[in-house]
Amino acid sequence: MTQALGGSDVVLRVEDLRVEFPSEDGVVHAVDGITYEVHSGRTLGIVGESGSGKTVSSLTTLGLTRRQGARVSGRILFEGQDLLTLPEERLRAIRGNEIAMIFQDPLSSLHPLYRVGAQLVEAVCAHRDVSRAKAREHAIELLDLVGIPDPARRVDAYPHEFSGGMRQRAMIAMALANEPKLLIADEPTTALDVTVQAQILALMERLQRELGMAIVFITHDLGVVAEMADEIAVMYAGRIVETASAARVFAAPEHPYTWGLLKSIPRLDAPREQELVPIPGAPPSLIRPPSGCHFHPRCPYAQPDHARVDPALASSLEGEPAADEPGHLVACLLHADVRRRLWRQLAAGDTPEQALVAVGPFQESA
Amino acid sequence: MRSIRVPAATALAMTLVLALAACGSSSSGSGNSGSGASAVSTGGFQSPTTQALTGGKRGGTLVVLNESDFESLDPGVAYYNVDYEVVFATQRPLYSQEPNSVEPSPDMASGAPEVSSDEKTVTVHLREGVHFSPPVNREVTSEDVAYAIERGANENVANPYFQSYFGSVEGAEKASGGPIKGIETPNKHTIVLHLSEPKAQLVAHALVLPLTAAVPREYAQRFDKNKPSDYANYQVATGPYMLENDAAGKVLGTGYIPGKSATLVRNPNWSPKTDFRPAYLNEIDIKLGGTKAVIGRQVLEGTNVVENELPAQSIVKLAAERYKSQLEISPGAGTHYIAVNNKVGPFSNVDVRKALWAALDRTAMNKARGGALVADVMTHFLYPTIPGFNQAGGLAGLKVDYNEHPEGDAAVAEKYMKLAGYPSGKYTGGHTLVVVGDRGNPLEQDAEIVNQTLKSLGFTTKFTLVEPNVMYGKYCGVPKEEIDVCPSVAWGADFPDPQTVLDNTFNGKSIVSTGNNNWGQTNDPKINAAMTAAETINDQAAREAAWAKIDDELVQDAAAIPFDWDKQANIEGSAVRGVGDLWDSGEWDYNYSSLK
Amino acid sequence: MTAYIVRRVLWGIALLVIVCALTFVLFRVFPTANPAQLRAGRSPQPKVIHEIERVLGLNKSLSTQFFDYVKNVFLHFNLGYSYYSDESVRSLISERLPATISLTLGAGVLWIVGGLGVGILSALRRHSLLDRLAMGGALVLVSAPEFWLGLIALFLFAQDIGQWRIFPGAGSYVGITSDPWQWFTSMIMPWFVLASGSAAVFARLMRGSLIETMGEDYIRTARAKGLAERRVVRHGVRSAINPIVTLFGLEIGTLLGGTVLIETVFNIPGVGRLAYDSITTADFSVIQGTVLLAAMFIIVANIVVDIAYAYLDPRVRYS
Repeated sequence: MTQALGGSDVVLRVEDLRVEFPSEDGVVHAVDGITYEVHSGRTLGIVGESGSGKTVSSLTTLGLTRRQGARVSGRILFEGQDLLTLPEERLRAIRGNEIAMIFQDPLSSLHPLYRVGAQLVEAVCAHRDVSRAKAREHAIELLDLVGIPDPARRVDAYPHEFSGGMRQRAMIAMALANEPKLLIADEPTTALDVTVQAQILALMERLQRELGMAIVFITHDLGVVAEMADEIAVMYAGRIVETASAARVFAAPEHPYTWGLLKSIPRLDAPREQELVPIPGAPPSLIRPPSGCHFHPRCPYAQPDHARVDPALASSLEGEPAADEPGHLVACLLHADVRRRLWRQLAAGDTPEQALVAVGPFQESA
Repeated sequence: MRSIRVPAATALAMTLVLALAACGSSSSGSGNSGSGASAVSTGGFQSPTTQALTGGKRGGTLVVLNESDFESLDPGVAYYNVDYEVVFATQRPLYSQEPNSVEPSPDMASGAPEVSSDEKTVTVHLREGVHFSPPVNREVTSEDVAYAIERGANENVANPYFQSYFGSVEGAEKASGGPIKGIETPNKHTIVLHLSEPKAQLVAHALVLPLTAAVPREYAQRFDKNKPSDYANYQVATGPYMLENDAAGKVLGTGYIPGKSATLVRNPNWSPKTDFRPAYLNEIDIKLGGTKAVIGRQVLEGTNVVENELPAQSIVKLAAERYKSQLEISPGAGTHYIAVNNKVGPFSNVDVRKALWAALDRTAMNKARGGALVADVMTHFLYPTIPGFNQAGGLAGLKVDYNEHPEGDAAVAEKYMKLAGYPSGKYTGGHTLVVVGDRGNPLEQDAEIVNQTLKSLGFTTKFTLVEPNVMYGKYCGVPKEEIDVCPSVAWGADFPDPQTVLDNTFNGKSIVSTGNNNWGQTNDPKINAAMTAAETINDQAAREAAWAKIDDELVQDAAAIPFDWDKQANIEGSAVRGVGDLWDSGEWDYNYSSLK
Repeated sequence: MTAYIVRRVLWGIALLVIVCALTFVLFRVFPTANPAQLRAGRSPQPKVIHEIERVLGLNKSLSTQFFDYVKNVFLHFNLGYSYYSDESVRSLISERLPATISLTLGAGVLWIVGGLGVGILSALRRHSLLDRLAMGGALVLVSAPEFWLGLIALFLFAQDIGQWRIFPGAGSYVGITSDPWQWFTSMIMPWFVLASGSAAVFARLMRGSLIETMGEDYIRTARAKGLAERRVVRHGVRSAINPIVTLFGLEIGTLLGGTVLIETVFNIPGVGRLAYDSITTADFSVIQGTVLLAAMFIIVANIVVDIAYAYLDPRVRYS
């Protein structure tokens, strides 16, 4: 599936990535065989609960899990190189340069005792041979680029002197210092209030247009990702359970977990009496994940078989997808037909129990 | 580390010599017939009585390492033997002693003192041609000796023994630093002391004390006006050495830096023609501070270095084993005994006192101190080198059953407890004994043994160990505290005369409310009367006999429980030909020591 | 900021007066020894003791003595005179101070460099053999009594009594102006012995502090930026060092008031020994002088450390 989409190339391709951590209680299977692609100029949203493995996969991309003794298998292809096999020095040259990452809490993610400008200058000088003075100029330009007022003065401020939103802008500025081809954003708006959130998202969209970079946007918030993402991958318990264009994920989702996520979002346009339908239960242990389909303990539609068989990500479209459409892959053992009927019920306002009743008894997928 | 220093069994005994000198002749028998100095074993190591006084090599600098600092270097105040090493090298009292003797020789005096027949006048003639050191330079006269004594009564100087030994001089009682009526200087080289009581012998004996070292009035007066006097920081010398000073005479900062050093250099105005001292060394550098464990090693492994204080016990042992030729043992360094409360409590009963005496294992206590090398088992209260020692029983002491077995005798102890009214042989009263000892080493081990012995007699004890200053100043020296047992008290004579050993410590009249040295509050009217009578006996032999008898009576009264006669060990480096002073615990004498 | 400093200094002076009062009470109201009595020697007559007390000013009422003293100290900088040597306390202290300062600062340099170095290495190579050896060694040094270490050092390395005669022995200290080389060589052993305990403590602290900071989010960011690992460690050390610096300042302040044990073993004429000697001889003025000096150093150290901390951590600055 390494096709270009609408003219944009694949920037990053993750193939069958598995990441394990040894721990006192056993081996943690943080990432259990995931595959995805990111295209330049487009945003991939990775959605999942905490503990779904979404952050670990990104950290592994940059080699930031090597210190913790992670055991990694699979491939991560960037510009023709497998990042997993690169020596540390080469990887270091890519970090902050061609691939940049921003994190959730800008207050704790910026060094509290160094000035913001100094941290930006550092990011520049790590990869480019420029004088400090020029780097400082560039830093001021960057702060301006991300919309921080009075950048020439702010460049000498300390992180705690910025507001939450401005700090995140500064982090973005730092990440963009070397015009990366790929930006990984790990929950960048989670710590911000809603209005600021919107500003940051708008900023990121603008920058993406201006710089043509790819973005991987990691979040647990479907509402945020609706805005930003072109494609969405839904992760659960270390695996990708569904991936499709953002439009399709919202219009025609085909995985019970995705349905649960969508039904959990409060909507202003829903009738008042309509209750939110939370997904029962809690995310599973990654040390001893459930057998077969990882979601089956919490799935209202699970069949006895699902505890034994591992579902594979498979296309749920008939035939090949259109030229500029990413495919729609689902990892579910239910028949595609059954899934669509269930969704129709749910979309109409049924609870899962009601939907089950309405659809009636069904067969396993072939 | 630092303890109340027992003022040196120093100074001088005017024993035989003076008594006989009064009749015009002098005798210098080796040692003293009654003093037993030669009876005490010094383990085969060198001792003051065996060292050579002549034949030393001239020149060189001696380094002295002392942990303790001086108490006072003012000749009118100095009273502890830590001060004497400097004072007796720089000052010349009227009389002083050669290192191997307790008999005094004329020093600033030109001959023996003349005592009138009524025992109320003492006349001393001074040598001529003795000069003060720079910046005073001029010849010493009798006026200077008079001023030296008079300033003792000046409260800014406050000499501690002025009243004790010079209080009988006419006008001395009311003196406060000004001229004293009873001190007469008929000419530049004669001084006469007129006494209001017939105590000439005592006063004559006391002329060995440093108070009699000449002090130039016109130079010293302005310092003696300060509160307190700082003459010590500007002092001049009459001896072979002087504390280094600057042109204005200031010693503080050059010759003496408190807590750091003292430097003695030759007194340019001293003439060997006027003195019996050889003064071989060119310079003496005294370094203060540090710790005895290190100092001891530095001395034993060093060359031209000595330690001039009691070394650490471990060092004495080391020297006795590996540096035999560098160790000197000197008898007669004082006593340690156990004071028990004669006035109140269980020990006010003489039989209980005898029981403790019998029960105590004095040999164990002796071992705890370091054994025969540093102490002999004590059997009565006068000690070796003190005249009267032999008459009082010598090393063995009085033959009474509780004194016979120094290793302790439980049967005898029991006998006395029964006599005291405890039929079981053990104490059955309800009183808990308050026992306050010295926490220094090895005194605390000795105090432990005493504590255990008390318990074996059936007593319960409240046992505390404190710093010596506190022990004396706050507990044992304060009668009001009613301490029952003080196991760590020590005493040494001011000069070798039996009165100075027994009077202050066992005379009922000596009891005072603070700073009391009659720690047991012994107050037997018979003994008090005997002491008063013996004070004025001037014939030497009779004097010794009288005080020896008092010693016997104290033993029979078990006024206190003796345990050790100290011998002091002193160490020198391998290139030092040290000469120690018998009258000063064998501590090294700079006037006679030399380098090899 | 200036207002803050001024306030702290004023409060510091008030504290010094309180310390003055406390020392006064401790040593005079509850005396352990009467200096007049000590000076009077044994068997003194009460008259003599009274005389000396009068001369030394000890017979005045306690409150008079106290107010006289405070007045002298704070208005005239006159700390009184030693009862024994009659030297002014101020000159006694200023004579002894250089030695203690030399000792403290030299040791301070050693233990900061040594302690931090070992601590950083241990933190970065956690659980390695180096780490275990270093922390084990630190434990030994912390537990070893200073005095004993000093004696061992002398018995091993002193030129006069050691097994291997390398360094000058006890009592060889001279001021830096009289003989810089001798000053330096005579201080090497004391520096190491004094530094050893503190270095060990600091190594452990640094290790713990750095381990903690290296787990912080901004370290992850630093790595994500592609910084060289050495720079990343620098980021960590920069944060980890703040509590260490505070502690260092306070320790130096305390030690400047006197390092008695080292000064005793090596016979270095410093204020620590002066303080100890004055206590055993109940030399009140000197005792009070040394206590005030020590208190002053600690107060100043506290103020300096607070200011330094504000400088080191911009988040706590007073506006």
